[in-house]
Amino acid sequence: MHMSDALLSPVVGGTFWAVSAGMIGWSARKTAADSDGSKTVLMGVLGAFVFAAQMINFTIPGTGSSGHIGGGLLLAVLLGPWRAFITLASVLVIQALFFADGGLLALGSNIFNMAFIPAFIAWPFIYRPIAGNGDSQVRLATASIVSATLGLLAGAFSVVLQTTMSGISDLPFSTFMLFMLPIHAAIGIVEGVLTWGVLSFIHSTEPALLRKATETPAPKTGFVTASLFVAALAIGGAVSWFASSNPDGLEWSIGKVTGQEELASPSESTHERLAELQEKAAFLPDYDFRQTSGEAENAASGDSPVNAGTSLSGIAGSLMVLLLSGAAGLIFRNRRNSSTTASQS
Amino acid sequence: MTDRFAIGSLHGETPSCRLPVGDGAAIIILALFIIFVISIPKFDLAGALAFAAIPLLLFTATPVPLAPVLKRLVIVSPFILFMAVGNLFLDRSTALTVAGIAITGGTISATVIVLKTLLTLSTLLWLMACLPFHRFGMALRSLRVPEVFVTQLLLVYRYSFLLAEEAAMMQKARDLRSFDGRGKGVVVTAKLIGSLLIRTTARAERIYMAMSARGFRTALDSRPAGALKANDFAIIALAGTLFGLIRYLF
Repeated sequence: MHMSDALLSPVVGGTFWAVSAGMIGWSARKTAADSDGSKTVLMGVLGAFVFAAQMINFTIPGTGSSGHIGGGLLLAVLLGPWRAFITLASVLVIQALFFADGGLLALGSNIFNMAFIPAFIAWPFIYRPIAGNGDSQVRLATASIVSATLGLLAGAFSVVLQTTMSGISDLPFSTFMLFMLPIHAAIGIVEGVLTWGVLSFIHSTEPALLRKATETPAPKTGFVTASLFVAALAIGGAVSWFASSNPDGLEWSIGKVTGQEELASPSESTHERLAELQEKAAFLPDYDFRQTSGEAENAASGDSPVNAGTSLSGIAGSLMVLLLSGAAGLIFRNRRNSSTTASQS
Repeated sequence: MTDRFAIGSLHGETPSCRLPVGDGAAIIILALFIIFVISIPKFDLAGALAFAAIPLLLFTATPVPLAPVLKRLVIVSPFILFMAVGNLFLDRSTALTVAGIAITGGTISATVIVLKTLLTLSTLLWLMACLPFHRFGMALRSLRVPEVFVTQLLLVYRYSFLLAEEAAMMQKARDLRSFDGRGKGVVVTAKLIGSLLIRTTARAERIYMAMSARGFRTALDSRPAGALKANDFAIIALAGTLFGLIRYLF
């Protein structure tokens, strides 16, 4: 499930961008250390393999619909955590750039949800201990299904967290969880079965491929815990900053969840001072602008966050800008065309 | 599948799609644009509409074909539509009344979500249609993205086309032999993917040998990455000011 630009606040999106970019840098340094060109090529081609494998559909029994493999866990098993992370991240970048899956700002969140979790959580902590050396089919099956399901559930949980923290969507946390988790549990089980099928096929036809992978050292627990800790701190910081800089949106969502407009807060004064400071230092104090230029012909009803008169005139202004920019673009294009034909003739 | 990549082959370095800035600066300006759009408040329809001026200008001023971009935007994400519809139903407080018709807060916030999606994605797709992928890779190097990751991106992009063709052939061969949906279940598909994987790794070995013979070590491009020029910084600052102005005025 790809997270999307429009559902993220800049702070949450930026935080996950920073975490994911840091992880890419770290993994790149790790993989560059053993400068083995053949592995570089293998990673590239396996990234392309994920796209190709996703084209091969299978029928889901009893439903009549079809599904395809995700490939995250499979790559983690084949390449080990660092290389799998880089490969999965590159696949997500290409999906964002060419298929418009998610968007550029959401890329950080998507890399965290769909590359970090399978490579650094699901594979070392769930798959590896259960699968052992991969000789037992029962263990291989259990490892694949359990780690694919838990990995996807963690990713889905992360999507819910990112969306709720951003405060753009009105879906309450619990409803969103109830919607996301069962679907992802089902997808995870299918993904696990498929991954097991592929792994057991490889185990019987070309076991050397898997043996190479099991030799890769697992990332140290300390490293993963530390990076998760940093991510948690960063997210916590981001949320508190968001809360103080945008009390309106937060009050709104709090009102939705608790039925009260504000939660009793012991640090009310700090909060107010921060809000005041933010208002003074606001980069774009559009609130003031609104108040002075607004014509309140269509009065907003009750405590609505939208001021009717100002936003209608604002929308009219925006439409005029659109018209102007479209016209400017066409003129620019015509001039380019005429100048190129002039230079040709 | 291969046609999903068609946008990459749209670029063509036609003179009218030549970017007025360095490629690295173009990526930074795009990122700035996206951050400004995403920072538009939840109910600020006018603000979101005003930013549509930028993609509109880009698409009208350059010969980037609209059809493939629109196709991607239409099928973009059922997820985003689901979330927008969620707002539509959950927030029924009347936000404004136009000519006697009450418009709910949910309608406005849902429209803003969809609009933001269209703005950010269309601009991103425009850049990808204008910028050939190898130049995109070079631009990433100039922005100090690790060499390993740039090489990885270029290789994935290059081999996606080839492997997609191979997968399509395998799928077609299976479908031609299948009666009444038999052989299309999970078990056979897993074996099919497994054999595609084995073919892929064998191909990777051949590619590596061929590339080593041509002097490949770990990076695809040995030219030093050019840093951003003063001109680039000036245009980035200009674009940032422009976005700031739009954000402030609307």
